[in-house]
Amino acid sequence: MAWLRRLWTTIRPRRMQRDIEREVSFHLAERADQLRAEGLSEEDARREARRKFGNVIVQAERTRDVNVALSFDAFLRDARYAIRSLARTPGFTITVLVTLALGIGANTAVFSAVDAVLLQPLPFPEGDRLVRVRQIRERSAESNVAPVRLEDWQRLNAAFDAITGYYMEDVSETSGEMPERVRRAWVARRFREVWGVDPAIGRVFTAAEYTVGGPLAVLVSERYWRIRLGADPNVLARSIRIGAVSIPIIGVMPASFHFPDPEVDLWFPSPVDFKFAQSRKLTWFFGIGRLKRGVTLDQARANLDAVQKELGRQYPETDGQLRVDIVPLKDTTVGSIRNSLWLLFAGVSVLLLITCTNVAGLLLARGTHRHQEISVRLALGASNVAVVAQMLVETLILSIAGAALGLILAAGAVAALRLAAADLPRINEIAFQWRILAYTLVTAVVVSLLCGVVPAIRAARASTASALNEAGRTQASGRSSLQWLFVGAQVALSVMLLAAAGLLVRSLHELSRVDLGFDPTHVLTFRVSGSYAETGDYTRLLGRVDGTIDELRALPGVESVATTTFLPGVPMEFEQTFALVEARTDADRRLAAESRIVSAEYFGTMKMSLVEGEICRRQPFGAPTQLLVNQAFRARYLSEWPSPIGLHLARDSFMAGTGTITGIVANARDQGIDRSPAPIVYTCFSAPNPTPAFLVRTRGEPEDLAHTVRMKLKELEPLRSVYDIAPLEDRIGGAFAQNRLRTVVLAFFAVTALVLASVGLYGTLSYVVSLRRREAGLRLALGAVRATLVRQFLVQAWRVVVLAIAAGLALSFLFARLLGGMLYGVSPADPVVLLTVMVTVLVVATAAALIPATRAALVEPMQVLREG
Amino acid sequence: MASQKNDILQGTLVLLILRTLASNRRLHGYGITTHIQRVSADLLRVEEGSLYPALHRMEQHGWLRSEWGVTEKNREARFYSLTPQGRKQLAHEEESWARLTAGVARVLRHA
Repeated sequence: MAWLRRLWTTIRPRRMQRDIEREVSFHLAERADQLRAEGLSEEDARREARRKFGNVIVQAERTRDVNVALSFDAFLRDARYAIRSLARTPGFTITVLVTLALGIGANTAVFSAVDAVLLQPLPFPEGDRLVRVRQIRERSAESNVAPVRLEDWQRLNAAFDAITGYYMEDVSETSGEMPERVRRAWVARRFREVWGVDPAIGRVFTAAEYTVGGPLAVLVSERYWRIRLGADPNVLARSIRIGAVSIPIIGVMPASFHFPDPEVDLWFPSPVDFKFAQSRKLTWFFGIGRLKRGVTLDQARANLDAVQKELGRQYPETDGQLRVDIVPLKDTTVGSIRNSLWLLFAGVSVLLLITCTNVAGLLLARGTHRHQEISVRLALGASNVAVVAQMLVETLILSIAGAALGLILAAGAVAALRLAAADLPRINEIAFQWRILAYTLVTAVVVSLLCGVVPAIRAARASTASALNEAGRTQASGRSSLQWLFVGAQVALSVMLLAAAGLLVRSLHELSRVDLGFDPTHVLTFRVSGSYAETGDYTRLLGRVDGTIDELRALPGVESVATTTFLPGVPMEFEQTFALVEARTDADRRLAAESRIVSAEYFGTMKMSLVEGEICRRQPFGAPTQLLVNQAFRARYLSEWPSPIGLHLARDSFMAGTGTITGIVANARDQGIDRSPAPIVYTCFSAPNPTPAFLVRTRGEPEDLAHTVRMKLKELEPLRSVYDIAPLEDRIGGAFAQNRLRTVVLAFFAVTALVLASVGLYGTLSYVVSLRRREAGLRLALGAVRATLVRQFLVQAWRVVVLAIAAGLALSFLFARLLGGMLYGVSPADPVVLLTVMVTVLVVATAAALIPATRAALVEPMQVLREG
Repeated sequence: MASQKNDILQGTLVLLILRTLASNRRLHGYGITTHIQRVSADLLRVEEGSLYPALHRMEQHGWLRSEWGVTEKNREARFYSLTPQGRKQLAHEEESWARLTAGVARVLRHA
């Protein structure tokens, strides 16, 4: 029943208070009666009674304290007391606040990114039900779907509300003075059902608009409407021009609709009866579906697998080998940033742990200084619980104030992150909402418990003990060993973070030193807008692209010009399956390799070296296809052929047909500078699509030629726009921006951790020195050498630091697991990194320890002894 | 503080209160102080500052119960009395007190 009564008193503090006051006033009255009887005057008797009792109010409060340690009232009182006592020690308070603000702020910033990018559903109605639907063929990286197959899936499945598809291209909008590049998406039917988003103005496409020769129609983005159409309310009466065709606008999508990527401004209906949509072999749709409510990924996978098996029986030639795969759309949107974010979150959580330990150390030291105060409170009848609660309230106030400062820091950090990482997926969705606030608040409470409990209990217990035996001094050594433990933990965790950051830095460094096999310097890259309609006449398309190559080649300052499907060095996988026509066994027949479709000038422009045979030559459309392979391809698949020149490779998907190998080039890191060269087949063809990337090797700085190139192209083809113009090195660097960013951020955390650990070490050693000042003075007086004293204190610090470094190295092996796939050219146990970290930590720790250690030796013996 | 001879050792206050209430069925706080002082022939004096917190703590433990009443001088006062649980606690405290004093006495005699 006791707890019930306590609850009652907590709920009814006022009545409680009244009771106590009544009780005390009765006592005072009785005492005064007695004193009067002993001969005191009325006045004196009352004063004496009151004096004997002590302050009536304090008494009432202290009495009540026992009952309602947990009451809000007591909390407020503790809070007031805490603020007063914190204000008395501004040095301590500011140190703790800054430390906590750093720890909590960094944590909040990273969490807000984790929350927005990884935890929140995509910004579509019930975005968690959206999945990417892919077709998978053994030993092939192709995952796009043939539109006709997509229609079959839609018709036969039972797991989806709807399945749709799309593809994107860059075209020129020509109604303005200069042609401008816009990105458009061709969308299949059921576009509206899958995304669940209606146009903000107007309507979606009609069935007739989804047919060849049907009425033309386009949906525009809110951004396009605002910027290009001046937010015209009469937008539905207007049209846009693509090339020579005018297309009526039927609607405007809402601002939040960023699909398939934020750059898309126009949506066109992709006709179901389009010629290229009928082939089961031409796979150019990105499939996307909305799961039925309550259907799991596995169920959907099983269902669609069964559907595809059925299709495999119907169309064994084209569908027999196919499987399906379903991935949450969020996963494919977020991509590789997931691992980076979790890594940073782990890093920042370790930093928070260090922060906590640091603050706990500071609190311990403060507890010692407040020894007297706590002893007095205990002696006055405060319970241990009340003392601990009071100290925890103090820590809580510090944490919440620190968290508030941290929020400001975090807001700044997030703004910086948005600038530094504008290209990362979903980065614009990072926002401070109540979830982030709640997270910060919870963090603050957890932090105050983590930091505060041990020091509070220690302080209360130590004071109880010393109140009885007055032997406070012996307590000090015990408490400082706990402080050393905290320091050790901080150093160990710092070592762990530094090692991780060091490995990432080293990876970047290795990456910059790797032999690429091509020369990325002095190359300008760009694309020229085009339409897939141009692929209807390849002779003309090829003529246009080759013509552009020649015209640019003739510009002053240009050494050579080439085109390619994918920029060399920028990570990109495009694997195709080839068949070796001359293979003697079936097993040799199927060869999976990276596929690059390049113009004949590519190898010269990129300065790749020819090992055998010859480079292909430019040919008109329809001529026999020429291929080059790299050394890796030869080593993997053609090692038994004395000379592979003249062998034939066939493929049946994109760029179907048979080609002849004319030469072998040295391995180069075309498919990403961080990947070791895989087998590659280069197909010589300058215009596999209407918008190949141009590569212009320049004599001077590539940026200097950008304007000349633009002007030349305007002169050549006034209806086309030039876009994505940048030096190749920038494009490659841009592809690794995320790596650099996470490296920089983690390194920042690691350095902060080291600084905190050093501060902790400095503080603890200072404390130990101050405790042993007397001893130091005594020994000096007895003839000890100062250097010996310094060494002694240093050794004490070193012992902890060395143990901590060892522990930190062990921890770093665990932490390195998080780095899986992020390391390049270094092993998680890289001796250079680990040794550098060890030496750095040792040097920094020594520097931090040297100051207090020296201070001990500078003690004036006589002064100290006199103090004693 | 430790030098004042009539201060009551922490911990013994509870024992004294329990014992006092065991022999006087019902007493208010002031009554308890005067009783202890009188019975101990002024050797022991209860600090008011410790008395009420102790009373409230003991009430919380369920050893005491309290109720409001009127004294013969017609003043409102809070009267405390022992619960069965408090009686048990008293036996327990008396026993450990006996052990303590016996122990201390032996040390004083033989050490």
